[in-house]
Amino acid sequence: MAIVRPLVARAGSLLLTLWLVSALVFLAGQVLPGDVGRVMLGPFADAQAVAELNRKLGTDQPILAQYWHWFSLAIRGDFGDSLSMRAPVAPFVLSGIKNSAALAGVVLLFLVPIGIGAGVVAGLRSGSLADRLIVLTGVSLSIVPDFVSGLLLLMVFGLWLAWFPISGAAPDGAGFWTSSYHLILPALPLVLNLIGYVARMTRAGVIDARAADYTRTAILKGLTPSQVLFKHVLRNALVPTVAVIATQSGFLLGGLVVIEALFGIQGLGNLVLSAAKARDFPMLEAGVLVMAAIFVSTAAIGDLLQALLDPRQRRRSAP
Amino acid sequence: MTKRSDIDLLRNQSTRGHTGDIWNVAVDEYAQGFLKRRDLLKYAALLGLAGFAASQGLFTPGAARAATPGGTVRVGLGQPTKAIDPVTITDPASIGVISQVGEYLILDDPKDGLQPKLAVSWEADETAKRWTFKLRPGVKFHDGRTVTAKDVVASFERLVDPASGSSALSAYKGILSKGGAKVVDDETVAFDLDQSNSNFPFYVSSDVYNAVIVPSDYAGDFEKTFNGTGPFKLESFRPKQGASFVRNPDYWGDKALPDRVEIKFFDDEQAQVLALQAGQLDVIPSTTRLELAIEGNPNFKLLSVQASSHDPAHLRTDQAPFTDKRVRRALALTIDREAVVKGLLKGRAVVGNDTPFAPIFPSADPSVPQRKQDITEAKRLLGEAGVPNGFEVTLTTERAYDIPDYAVIIQNFAKKAGIDIKLNVLPQDAYYGSATFGSSPWLDSNLGITDFGHRGTPDIFLNATLKSSGAWNAAHFNNPDYDALLIDYGKARDLQAQRVAAGKIQTLLLDETPLIISYFSQYSRIVSSKVEGVRFTAISHLLLDKVSFV
Repeated sequence: MAIVRPLVARAGSLLLTLWLVSALVFLAGQVLPGDVGRVMLGPFADAQAVAELNRKLGTDQPILAQYWHWFSLAIRGDFGDSLSMRAPVAPFVLSGIKNSAALAGVVLLFLVPIGIGAGVVAGLRSGSLADRLIVLTGVSLSIVPDFVSGLLLLMVFGLWLAWFPISGAAPDGAGFWTSSYHLILPALPLVLNLIGYVARMTRAGVIDARAADYTRTAILKGLTPSQVLFKHVLRNALVPTVAVIATQSGFLLGGLVVIEALFGIQGLGNLVLSAAKARDFPMLEAGVLVMAAIFVSTAAIGDLLQALLDPRQRRRSAP
Repeated sequence: MTKRSDIDLLRNQSTRGHTGDIWNVAVDEYAQGFLKRRDLLKYAALLGLAGFAASQGLFTPGAARAATPGGTVRVGLGQPTKAIDPVTITDPASIGVISQVGEYLILDDPKDGLQPKLAVSWEADETAKRWTFKLRPGVKFHDGRTVTAKDVVASFERLVDPASGSSALSAYKGILSKGGAKVVDDETVAFDLDQSNSNFPFYVSSDVYNAVIVPSDYAGDFEKTFNGTGPFKLESFRPKQGASFVRNPDYWGDKALPDRVEIKFFDDEQAQVLALQAGQLDVIPSTTRLELAIEGNPNFKLLSVQASSHDPAHLRTDQAPFTDKRVRRALALTIDREAVVKGLLKGRAVVGNDTPFAPIFPSADPSVPQRKQDITEAKRLLGEAGVPNGFEVTLTTERAYDIPDYAVIIQNFAKKAGIDIKLNVLPQDAYYGSATFGSSPWLDSNLGITDFGHRGTPDIFLNATLKSSGAWNAAHFNNPDYDALLIDYGKARDLQAQRVAAGKIQTLLLDETPLIISYFSQYSRIVSSKVEGVRFTAISHLLLDKVSFV
């Protein structure tokens, strides 16, 4: 069970990271202009009303007292009420996670097979026309910002051809397929953005693995080409790709502010942005912490997968 | 009817003591051609002669043809910035939602002026310090309870109570305080004001968008029930997503034509216009950028209403280079206002004359000469002030609406007189900062541009932005003559006296130029050609009860 100890260490560093992040978010809030009451009531509200609202919300307390109040509840799993929405934070964050995860899922559904497939083709035929086309297309697509491709896709497929709905949020009570259908258009710009990256990583892995000694040994042993490809080449070639996909998943779950706004998806990115705008600290804290947890754990899962795939790493983590 | 006999008829409209006198002054103004008939009728409404105004056809809704009821109106709005609660709302999206279910004592209609809603009539005493409102009998909240004077008083007491965190507190400052609203009987409410105010009906109208009448036991949880008196009632509400409303079968007035209203919140205006173009929405708010997207497209209409919205540039009168009024005047003279209205605002604005008296205010004195671009005069004034080669100054402003473009236009015009403006454009909340002197770029900057939304009367602009003690006095204008004139203006009881006082203020502000106000912009919405009867106010109320589908 050599794998357990690093996991425990990981969990420890995760908790430390989360605590640091939570403190940083609080501190950052202090540098933003305007106080909570002022932001909520607007610049033309009377100073007395603003002071009264801050008193009500407890946002007139010293920063350390505010942080301690928040922390002592959060540690027990109570993330408090949103200041701007006047309702418990948890349901908002949970629905944010759900919506972000659904979008990320649809993205991965397209990204993983197409990206890896294209990378394998390019790697096996490196130097060919197909290889050059794949690499060039991938690079070209990745330099188009997602808000540009998002708008173009919306105009072409949502407006002119009307193949897909304009909004990424399915109506109330929609089933799994309808919800997924609504997410295809928002997922595409992200797929296009990342596909070149995944394909290039796979391609490099394939080229390395094919040139490696173990591949030559496998071929000399008389294994069929497909056995060589799947058992030896791909298993080793995909190690860096898996790591890349894992770290990108973190970004897909929390860093999609632009796409979420464009397609009206109430995901985590959107939640954190609007909470920051409204100086809604309980909401901001919960949102950012969930994001940080996702980032750290996806990175950890990536490492773990790499270790499982790569015998050398497994040996390294042993005492 | 000849104008003469028309006037005789008008004179006899009011026999109530002082109201009669004020009314007859207004009729004189009309007789001498100083007042349009429409403005006269609006004025009748202000004095509480609502029945008369109605008899003159002022309160009939625009759509004259018989419309078929039914259908769902689909509305796109921005994302509300916080929980929707009439007491604290400030953003256009929340006002749009609340106008489906909530009502005011009076609606300030952009076309027809003050219209009786939950109040049927109103009048002031001799001093205009006590105003009495008769309520419409038999109006019910959506939960079935009858609206009484107690609910109305509680609604206003809540707004003027500093402890309620109401965003209307600044609107009522110096006008109405806690304890000022009183129950006379079940259907009568009286307001004892802090000081005389001839325009008070505007303050209980939709102009103060927080002044929605809610039950006396309202506990701040509006999103749970959306319990109001309006023509629609709540069907479902999803925070951050949208809301739907259905026709209120027990509405006191004409029942709403549409079966339902479906509102969807958008974080992104591009997405909003795309959804409209895809036929998934019928009504969206408008911005200059979006108007370009639908220009010339027969599937959409752009509807606009006149407003007093403006973006004043303040010049800090207590700081170099603007301590000398000749320098302030020079900068104002560099601007070609007609060009700003035509180019930047696509003609959907009227030229301003560096005072808050928008042409839509009946009390504005139209005889004050309009300031026009005059570079020669600007250079002469700069020479006189000892800066013949101009000077350098930083213009600080916010990234909102058309303001950044307007700032560039001012920068270019100022160059013609040798004034070199550097731009410092901040995000909106950074620009407002804490909105108090000393920690707000808005209130501290040497030269800045701020956005002010529509108000039904010029009072709050005159008081808050220009009075020496004003909370929004970014120009740091400290002029005892102005402060004295403002008191005269507040005391003026009839339209003629108000105009005389306004004329003096306008002349003084032109001479001093603490603010440059080069336009008053209209308020617009983009509507699908398939819908008729969409009405709205210049402060984002959206009235959909008369909507029908073509």
